[in-house]
Amino acid sequence: MAKRTRAKSQIGRGEAAVLLIPSLLPIMVLSVTPLLIGVFLAFTDARLVRNPEYHFIGIDNFIRLGGNSMFWDSFRIGIIWAVSVTVLQLVLAMGLALLLNSGLRLQSLTRVLALIPWAMPPVVVAIMWRMIYSANAGPLNAALGGLGLPSSINWLGDFKTALPAVIVVGVWVGMPQTTVTLLAGLQQIPRDLYEAGALDGAGAGRLFTAVTLPSLRGIIASITSLNFIWNFNSFSLVYVMTEGGPGGETMLPMLFTYLEAFKNRNIGYGAAMGLVLVLIVVTLLAVYLRAQLRGDKEA
Amino acid sequence: MRKTALKAVAGLSVLALALTACSSGDPSPNPSGEPVTLTFQSLSDQPATIAAVEGIVEAWNSAHPNIQVEIVPVGWDAVYDKLITQFNSGTAPDIIHYEASAIVSFADDGYIADLSSVMDPARKADIPAGVLESVTVGGQLVAYPTELQSYMVFANRTLLEQAGVTIPTGDTLDWATFRAMSQAATKDGVFGLGWGLKSPTATFMSLGLGYGGTFFNGTGSNVTIDVTDAELAVPEQVYQMAYEDLSLMPLTLTQSGGEALAAFYAGQVAMTVQGSYQAANIAQDAPEGFEWVVLPALEGSKSAAQSANPQTLSISVDSPHVAEAAQFLDFFTNAENLAAVCEADALIPATTSAQRAMETKLASQAGWDVILSSGQYLEAAPFMFANSYQAWKDTVATPAFQRYLAGQIDKAQLAQELTSGWDTVTS
Amino acid sequence: MPKRLVRTAQYAGLGLYIVFLGFPLLWLISASVKSSRELNSLTVSLLPSEWHWENYSDALARQGLIGSAGNSLLVAVASTGLVVLISLPAAYVLARIKGAARVVGTGWILVSQVFPVILFILPLFLILRTLHLTDSLVGLTLVHATYTLPFALWMLQGYVAAIPFDLEEASAVDGAPRLATLRHIVFPLLAPGLVATAMFSFVASWNEFFFALVLLQSPDNYTLPITLKMFIGGEGKVALGPLAAGAVLAAVPSIVFFSLMQRKLISGLMSGAVKG
Repeated sequence: MAKRTRAKSQIGRGEAAVLLIPSLLPIMVLSVTPLLIGVFLAFTDARLVRNPEYHFIGIDNFIRLGGNSMFWDSFRIGIIWAVSVTVLQLVLAMGLALLLNSGLRLQSLTRVLALIPWAMPPVVVAIMWRMIYSANAGPLNAALGGLGLPSSINWLGDFKTALPAVIVVGVWVGMPQTTVTLLAGLQQIPRDLYEAGALDGAGAGRLFTAVTLPSLRGIIASITSLNFIWNFNSFSLVYVMTEGGPGGETMLPMLFTYLEAFKNRNIGYGAAMGLVLVLIVVTLLAVYLRAQLRGDKEA
Repeated sequence: MRKTALKAVAGLSVLALALTACSSGDPSPNPSGEPVTLTFQSLSDQPATIAAVEGIVEAWNSAHPNIQVEIVPVGWDAVYDKLITQFNSGTAPDIIHYEASAIVSFADDGYIADLSSVMDPARKADIPAGVLESVTVGGQLVAYPTELQSYMVFANRTLLEQAGVTIPTGDTLDWATFRAMSQAATKDGVFGLGWGLKSPTATFMSLGLGYGGTFFNGTGSNVTIDVTDAELAVPEQVYQMAYEDLSLMPLTLTQSGGEALAAFYAGQVAMTVQGSYQAANIAQDAPEGFEWVVLPALEGSKSAAQSANPQTLSISVDSPHVAEAAQFLDFFTNAENLAAVCEADALIPATTSAQRAMETKLASQAGWDVILSSGQYLEAAPFMFANSYQAWKDTVATPAFQRYLAGQIDKAQLAQELTSGWDTVTS
Repeated sequence: MPKRLVRTAQYAGLGLYIVFLGFPLLWLISASVKSSRELNSLTVSLLPSEWHWENYSDALARQGLIGSAGNSLLVAVASTGLVVLISLPAAYVLARIKGAARVVGTGWILVSQVFPVILFILPLFLILRTLHLTDSLVGLTLVHATYTLPFALWMLQGYVAAIPFDLEEASAVDGAPRLATLRHIVFPLLAPGLVATAMFSFVASWNEFFFALVLLQSPDNYTLPITLKMFIGGEGKVALGPLAAGAVLAAVPSIVFFSLMQRKLISGLMSGAVKG
């Protein structure tokens, strides 16, 4: 198939334009334009003050950022956070999607229950989890105590457990969209492939690696890259739970961008931070997606 | 190709500037007699306060058909993000409810009207000097201060009496006595003190004033930091109480003030330091028969001073109706109205007359006499006038204090982190 | 392995998932019927010591909870419809086109998701104001749709790409016009992906806070997240009971929506439709 279609696109230019315009129009006006202005600010000393005077200052902001060790410390935490959350989300959501797709009873009920994190207003998610993690009044420690396990863990207050604890919440929050996406992908896999595999005597594990994973490759690449971006970009959930504490253990890099651009009103310097993060994330994703693509071709 | 791209970007930024420019709005002065409508962005969140504020606005609206006030509610948590976009797009409301430490920097950036000439002189005279100073930037009066809080020690009377601790009376309570009380009350599995210091910076900034610990010199963007023994006196004593006296319940150091109250209600700690407004929550949430008192204001080596960071009502510099808005605010902050709002919020009024009115009204309620009298120790603190304070607090000070309280760094390292962090934030 | 053992293990696994994902909601419901005194004590219990239904009347009595829920529903439904309508054709093109356009398109989608909102919220606000679309639910709908589009395009083009082009070609050879091919061959196969995208789009809009906060000025236009946020006061004062009650009420429309949609997520038409 690939051979036949490489020569030319499967769709004409005029046709493509007509189909693209409804999407392009709002994106150009409401997304590209403001975003380019935002990028431009990174090269200025713009401040959020009344009647501001902007100066073009080249890459000064980036040089200054290079020497900001606190920013780079938080960058390390941000990578740990984003990678752990994204990987755990994928693994756990894959397991759940497979279970939801395997013809167990009460399918429709369990499918709705799996979406509960989506239904909880984000405004209360952090507050709820703070209650659950509470060291002396939380159900988690109470449950552990009931099982005879250590029951006085200060989940969000201890330097060792704070980051893992917020990562669990990050995974929880992102489970529904990953699960639903994978489930929809599983539904697209033609049954015949499994039947053919089963006839060849392949077991469940072999079918998963030989049929399921290759079929889902594109979808996994899509959802993983988006999850990574969203996780890297998020800070308000963690901020409400820990305010970056204890001792800066959960200080995510986007928090710095926010504080610099909005609280310190140095929108130019803040934009430079944002741009650096964008470049790093896009580079990481490009490497990841290329690897995926190469795998695609070999498959 | 590259040149075209650059041109395009430049064009876009010009567009942005043009949009900003026309957004700065040209106020069309109100032809006299025409009714005007003032938008009042309010942060009142407690149902009782919302009712009190609505009552005041209704009374004003019916008495002043030509100056109508319209309340726009906004949540505390979100107001900063809202305000900064409103200011920068020229859509700020006429009347802005916020707090001094935040409004001072907006005023520094030029968004807030100077009220020196429009505030009723009688009102100005009614505001204690230290509070007035907290809303004065470069000689300009930028807000009507409304409600204040102080940090108070709440005590479980039963536990203290069982431990044979005399409950102090008098105007102030010095730290040495306080520590001794906490030690004496630590027995039979009870800790003397529980202190929710999850967000320690504001507390240390405020109580540090009692030792002359001011942290900062200068105002605006020209501020230097100086961390000496005076600045660290309060954190050091908290540390000693937790790790040497063993009279402070360590878990509470990682909790918020509200979370630490649970241990207080359960009788696990005999005393707790809280914002004064918690008096209302304690009255509501403490188990039946729980006997509690408010101890006199904590006094450091210099004084019992704490920082005044009042809630504020300001007027946007772009409002075409500054004079009318000031008339309304004069009415809003009269003794009767302000006392009603403060009672609903359980906060200390920022005017002397309203404090008196509240004293008379609440004379019978537990703790209020002590809390109201602590209002006299509130004064303006330098940190409120330092532009990068907020960023320093979130990225430098809070993590450093937390590490210190967890025993990960010592006092010298703490001082060093606070100082070098300020340099990074302001470089 | 005996089949029954596998089934048992599967049910056990599913049970663990449900506990992990559902417990916070259960705890939220529990908090919504507890008194302030109980919520601020050290007692840990799923059932309240006394049922405190007042939280619900409290939450409903707060200004504008119902009205803002209506606004949220309107914006969420409208932006979901809009996203599906305009992303479907574009995603089809992205999946079927080759060369630079595809790279630019997908690259842009990713970049637009990485750049922090706070850095371009001001230009966006000013553009919307020139279009007279601030403080308007129409404007908010457009913004929500625009910022969900990249996700929708990105996911949908993945689902389209998974459909072998041979199917379309076969249909075209049979003389069917392109639109008919799309309608009868491609769209049915896309159904689960389309439903997943629609669900995401609905939830994203229903829960979205920052754009709504900045764009909407008058209380009549507030959406639910804005109103709920007002339950959280200054100095960490949280009316936990009423907030939990409001949040439980806010969860109901999403759960109803999910219940309706989840059937569509599994399409019976699928099996065997794709011939290799």
